[in-house]
Amino acid sequence: MIRDITIGQYYPVDSIIHRLDPRVKLLGTLLYIISLFLFDSFAGYLLVIGFIGSVILASKVPLSYIFKGLKAVIFLLLFTVVFNVFFTQGDNVIGEWWIFRLTWEGLYQGAFMGIRIILLIIGSSIMTFTTTPKALTDGLETALHPLNRIKVPVHEIAMMMSIALRFIPILLEETDKIMKAQMARGADFENGSMIQKVKALLPIFIPLFVSAFRRANDLAMAMEARCYNGGTNRTKMKPLVYASRDYIGYALLGGYIALFVVLNLWFAWF
Amino acid sequence: MSIKLVNINYVYSKKTAYEKKALTNVSLEIQNGEFIGLIGHTGSGKSTLIQHLNGLIKATSGHIYYDGEDIYANKYNMKELRSKVGLVFQYPEHQLFETTILEDVKFGPKNLGLSEEEVEQRAKDALRQVGLAEELWDKSPFDLSGGQKRRVAIAGVLAMHPEVLILDEPTAGLDPKGRDEILGEIAKLHKERKITIVLVSHSMEDVADYVERIIVMNHSKVFADGTPKEVFMKYKELEKIGLAAPQVTYVMNELKEKGIDVDTTATTVAEAKDSILAWARKNNWIEDKVEA
Ligand SMILES: Nc1ncnc2c1ncn2[C@@H]1O[C@H](COP(=O)(O)OP(=O)(O)O)[C@@H](O)[C@H]1O
Ligand SMILES: [Mg+2]
Repeated sequence: MIRDITIGQYYPVDSIIHRLDPRVKLLGTLLYIISLFLFDSFAGYLLVIGFIGSVILASKVPLSYIFKGLKAVIFLLLFTVVFNVFFTQGDNVIGEWWIFRLTWEGLYQGAFMGIRIILLIIGSSIMTFTTTPKALTDGLETALHPLNRIKVPVHEIAMMMSIALRFIPILLEETDKIMKAQMARGADFENGSMIQKVKALLPIFIPLFVSAFRRANDLAMAMEARCYNGGTNRTKMKPLVYASRDYIGYALLGGYIALFVVLNLWFAWF
Repeated sequence: MSIKLVNINYVYSKKTAYEKKALTNVSLEIQNGEFIGLIGHTGSGKSTLIQHLNGLIKATSGHIYYDGEDIYANKYNMKELRSKVGLVFQYPEHQLFETTILEDVKFGPKNLGLSEEEVEQRAKDALRQVGLAEELWDKSPFDLSGGQKRRVAIAGVLAMHPEVLILDEPTAGLDPKGRDEILGEIAKLHKERKITIVLVSHSMEDVADYVERIIVMNHSKVFADGTPKEVFMKYKELEKIGLAAPQVTYVMNELKEKGIDVDTTATTVAEAKDSILAWARKNNWIEDKVEA
């Protein structure tokens, strides 16, 4: 059921991508997303697909698992595609109904945006599939460390993010349990009018909020009890250290960017 | 009422790194009026098994028949099944949501589409049955103690008048007094309403005094199934899988080994006492106070 939502979750296998330093992966994801938005041709996407394809292969996360994550955003995806297909201005009209007008340009634009969103989601989920929340926030904290000088509370932001990430699977599990418990009491989440459906959510959301507050309270108490008081003077048990594979990772990223620049220049030329 | 499970297998998160086999070839039958203890270690598959009984989880393979009807058949009415098989989850107090206790207990019967009076009547009966004082009924369920909340949650399922009542570790996290009270009330339900009960627990001691049949789960399989006496006779095997038989079983078996002829199948302290006294009398260790 609700546990099938795989977006943002960690997928525990051992692969070269999993072992990569989180800073490499953070930078990689950032560059990947930028490159995705700068390309505006299908030919450019071939390079992006080639890149993300090899990363997926190396990460050992099954494709089916990655695509399952797309299910959660299917509406966003459909909406974007449909919107682009019907509301793109163009001259090569295929057909017309009422206010809708189907053009070749629209189809092209719809397909283009669809692929862009899919690649965007796959790219960022590969990051979370292969990086534990802890490694992710450690990486973020270290990478953003220089911002401390301009008074950005980097540690606090990283801590909040790590707690939020940690709570996602817990709350999903809790939702699943509460839904089942209410279904055992005859609750029906599928049938009925819109209003009835919204009302049917109350028995899930109220216990869920109560439990989220209880958990947050417990966590705050546990942190207090262990004298947590923010990032100042806090040292790490396992500081992030680059290994040789991480330098290779940076080098490959550099190669990707070089290819990207060359391709873009080439497209601009011809 | 009867439930029959045939070769049930269940795998969580199939074909992913999280894949976990939770049930392996489970076959068993539950008859009307039984009082069953389902025992096993944490992670042995107890909770998974009971969620199959009211169709919340669909088996990966195998069949379940309720009153002879296949519950996986196309047009089977799952909602009706859920009203007949009442399932009280572990920590059921976490599912409370209404503004008052009475309203919360009414949630289940309301979903059955009963009349307002009938719903009210059932809710009040259920609250009385679990022994919750009437002056509390209009309070918020969030203001109660842990044990009281749990009773409200149990009442919420009872009010649906299920034919079978399944309780997942109803004593988890309660103090000894709260535990005895809840178990006592469940036993009373069985006695007075003749309701079929499945009591899930990880402690033999908890259920030995009450149930008529014990099903032991171990690593996703049914390890033993029989009367408490039959199951506790295998106390050495139980120990190997990390489940102890009740203390008296050990006492009686050790006495027997030392050559004292007592009944090793005694499962409760009272039975053990009788058996030991009978032996003592027979061997003239003690004299009966009551003269013939
Ligand atoms: N929702 C779930 N998703 C994945 N695995 C689960 C889930 N629920 C239980 N499991 C796993 O299935 C096995 C059986 O769990 P469960 O039926 O809860 O056992 P018990 O109730 O006896 O403690 C355990 O190994 C547990 O980790
Ligand atoms: Mg359990």
